[in-house]
Amino acid sequence: MKQFGDHIRKKRETLRKDDKSFSLRQVAVRLGIEPAYLSKIERNVFPPPSEEVIQKLAPMLDEDADILLAMAGKLSTDLQRIILERPTLFAEVIRELKKAPNHAILRITREVRDGKW
Amino acid sequence: MVELKNNELIFNFPQVHPHASCRLDFQKTLRIPDDNREYELPPGLGSFAMEHTDDHVSKIPKDWSEHGGVFLPMYQSEALWINFSGAAGPYGRDYPFAVKIATGKINAVTGESWSDKLVKNPQDYLVVPDQPWLDGYCVKKGLIRQFVAMPLGKGYTAEEQLTGEATHGGLQVIVYPMKRERYEAMQKENRKMFSGDVCYSMNMVSEALPMGLAPGGLMRQKIYEDEYGFDVWDQQHSSRCFIHILNSSQWETITGRPVPGKSPSATDYTQAGLPWFEYYNDKLNAISGPEKLSGLDSVAAKGIKLGEEPLDQNDPVYPQNIQKLSSAKNQVTDGKW
Repeated sequence: MKQFGDHIRKKRETLRKDDKSFSLRQVAVRLGIEPAYLSKIERNVFPPPSEEVIQKLAPMLDEDADILLAMAGKLSTDLQRIILERPTLFAEVIRELKKAPNHAILRITREVRDGKW
Repeated sequence: MVELKNNELIFNFPQVHPHASCRLDFQKTLRIPDDNREYELPPGLGSFAMEHTDDHVSKIPKDWSEHGGVFLPMYQSEALWINFSGAAGPYGRDYPFAVKIATGKINAVTGESWSDKLVKNPQDYLVVPDQPWLDGYCVKKGLIRQFVAMPLGKGYTAEEQLTGEATHGGLQVIVYPMKRERYEAMQKENRKMFSGDVCYSMNMVSEALPMGLAPGGLMRQKIYEDEYGFDVWDQQHSSRCFIHILNSSQWETITGRPVPGKSPSATDYTQAGLPWFEYYNDKLNAISGPEKLSGLDSVAAKGIKLGEEPLDQNDPVYPQNIQKLSSAKNQVTDGKW
């Protein structure tokens, strides 16, 4: 499985080709962390940062926050709260959906209902 | 299928292609002066909040519930623009879509009444992502009139001016993905290149006037011709959504939450030296504005005919800080300050 650090470094460096504000230093400043800390995260020397930092980083890199959190082995606070309300049920649902194809999973996400215009 | 996530409408077509995902959000913005001068593109000031109509069935008018969809809050004479984005596939190419936009079931590109089908000639749809946003009604080649919220029933909206009736209001959207085989062929070409809750009385809401969109000030914005050809659109698959617009007090009554503050005036924004924008895409041709839409009265002009003053703070502005945006991922370049 691809490591969190490798993934964000690759994405940041891709963006830096067109926009110099995606240098390690400038991204770290925007995240409010030390460049050295970000560098170590990108090299997988340090584990992924806090949820708060990942939530700031995701839109900056045009990434989905839930995906980055999952890569970091974390679950967003809102998802934790949702699961903790009905942990057994959600554990069962997730296991049931493990082998379901993408389109079947998308069907159970909430749709905006179209009606009669 | 259509989802509402983080105040974005996401039109997914997993049955067509995994990359077929088109996103729309509605941006708060300055209302440009309605004085027949041509203005640059105003900024985006954040997305309007949106809610599922199904979550508030007991508090919304019955016909809104029948329409389904979502609703968003706007102050009277507030402006909006529609931002389009996609999920970039490999090799940096977003999946293309044909998108029809209507207000009060009047097509914003042609002025014709709503139909679910795409029309080739005159082209009645936008091509996304070539068209990165839409700020108003296409009134002339390279010119639009800004979308401005006005109460239905007062005669200002495009719907009322063209049909004489205030029936629908709101915004309507339908999205068609490109055919899978055409997209995959394009990908191959690109690959080669790269190898390099509160209880209220129902009456309070149902008796209040809903909002519609009316043509405001003039803005330089092109609506681009379909460069792919009509046959590439997969008309077997489409998703549509009705976006109802309510005023701030209706929003608070229905959702129990306050409406975020008003956008600054164009004068205040410009005097603060904040940027306006120009968008360039020289590779694409613009379509002409239809007579139906070019003949509409703007809100200010209609107000004069009605003996009303519907717009406050409508003085001309003279933006100095204009930033140029190119079609390459909407990059910002520095302009004339």
